[in-house]
Amino acid sequence: MAMFKKIVKNFGPEWGAAVMGTAAICITMQLSSEVARPFSSLLYVGLGFYLLATVMFMAFLIPWTLRFFMYPEEIKKDLQHPIRGNFFPTMPISFILAGTGTNKLGPMLFGPWFAYHLSIVFFFLGAVGIFTFGYLLIRIQFLNKGVRLEHANFSWFIPPVSHLIIPVLGVCSMDVYWAETSLAPVLFLISMIALGVGFFNFLFVGAAVWHRYIYHTIPQGRLAPTVMVGIAPTAIIVIFLIKFIQAIEASQGTLFGINFMSMFSPIKIIASILWGFSFWWLILVTILLFTHYVKIKDHPLEFGWWAYTFPFEAFAVATGLLAACVASHFLYGMLIILNTLAVIIWITVVFGTIKWLESGAFLKPQH
Amino acid sequence: MKARSIIIALVIILIPFIIGMPLFLLRSSGRIPVKAHLVTDTRKNNGGVAYKGIKVDWTFCPDWEYKPLFFPAEEYLVFMFHYRNDNESNVQVMPSYTFASPHNRRYSANEEISMYIENALENKLKAEDQTPITFEIPSNATKHYIVTFEKPHSLDNFYVDVDVFRDVTLRLHYKKEDGEWSNYSNELIRKYKGRG
Repeated sequence: MAMFKKIVKNFGPEWGAAVMGTAAICITMQLSSEVARPFSSLLYVGLGFYLLATVMFMAFLIPWTLRFFMYPEEIKKDLQHPIRGNFFPTMPISFILAGTGTNKLGPMLFGPWFAYHLSIVFFFLGAVGIFTFGYLLIRIQFLNKGVRLEHANFSWFIPPVSHLIIPVLGVCSMDVYWAETSLAPVLFLISMIALGVGFFNFLFVGAAVWHRYIYHTIPQGRLAPTVMVGIAPTAIIVIFLIKFIQAIEASQGTLFGINFMSMFSPIKIIASILWGFSFWWLILVTILLFTHYVKIKDHPLEFGWWAYTFPFEAFAVATGLLAACVASHFLYGMLIILNTLAVIIWITVVFGTIKWLESGAFLKPQH
Repeated sequence: MKARSIIIALVIILIPFIIGMPLFLLRSSGRIPVKAHLVTDTRKNNGGVAYKGIKVDWTFCPDWEYKPLFFPAEEYLVFMFHYRNDNESNVQVMPSYTFASPHNRRYSANEEISMYIENALENKLKAEDQTPITFEIPSNATKHYIVTFEKPHSLDNFYVDVDVFRDVTLRLHYKKEDGEWSNYSNELIRKYKGRG
């Protein structure tokens, strides 16, 4: 019991990142399975990742939730922290990802009816959590007198990313089952509000962090993985755009008066531009990582390595979906490479996390 | 790293593959019987529809059974559309599909179920399904697309709208006669171009 209490006390807000990094692989696997017949087994490997992510999600949700009641002072300390605080939305994001996985792979386990209803429950729980933490964190940031320039880092992108991910499940739900129901306008409105909040916060926060990177020193090595988070916002908007156009297409070509034929061409152009930005950022991360952090040997093993997984997988998903619209052969080829790399990164991070746990760092959190 | 930690890491890493591969082998081995009764292939009786140099044919299976892992099997209406381009130049198509049951209740196609049954249907019909939303059909070539609809209970007639042409919608009408589905008519419906 004493050990369990210790675990709950030290169970930081960042553990949702491990669920995110595992859950998103089920979607990269599902998309890769469609590329060509030899890859069709990946659909079932994706199902394996979905089940693993579900187990992790339930296992982490218990201590994560209990901590709010058993150790509210620890929660308060973390919320006030300019880095750790931003990781609170990772758990509500996990709800949205669990919902997306259930939407895509759930019918294999439970049939469409149950899977689509379950994913909508995840949507509302995730959306409530994301908006709640979004307001809480922005309030703390605005009122906190202790935030300084050197605190700015790309983990600040997590709250905007959390809002951007809501419309992904929103439009996935409208794609098939909910398009013709009275829930569709509700899903649409929540999705669009979240998209607006996420998009503008991404621009504002991005400018603040960019300012730090140019006018101040770049963060120390333990924060190096957070640079990867910069890939996520535009990659997620690409995912949203393609799923949105698929939802319009599935609704007899018109959804809320938005016409498929008139939207498809601009969406292809905008999605390609945004995908290009994510790709550019991926190269930037590689350059920063190898020409700075690795070179000066400042890249310690941290739980924060999970920040390498989800943004990269989101980029792989964006690539797979964009391939359904433009440059199919090239992008499908790239998807297979990215999916393989995503698994390699995930394996490395799992080993790293176990090693990190073995070192006892979990019980001595660094602030 | 201690040996115990390496074992824990390996177990976590192997879980998705250990779960996924047997399931894939089980599904692809044919040990889970698939009840599928192909009733119509318009290519056999020249029953397809041609418009502006594109010949649309379809194979229809009204009772494709898919068994989810934890739930009982359900039947689906499965079509494989075959688009042949008889024009001299390549054409780009963006087909979309809608199913309508009596009282004009409309349903979208279920892409997920299509994905799960894709291999089995491709094997059966010796044709490869297209993945992209939009795809090009070279001159004198044929491309195929799988469309799956969830089947409402006690269904005895329905129609499917195939939106592949710019100015008309192809509507396929089906009704049940003596327990068998019959494709009793097909029509090209002009699309509304107004501002309403």
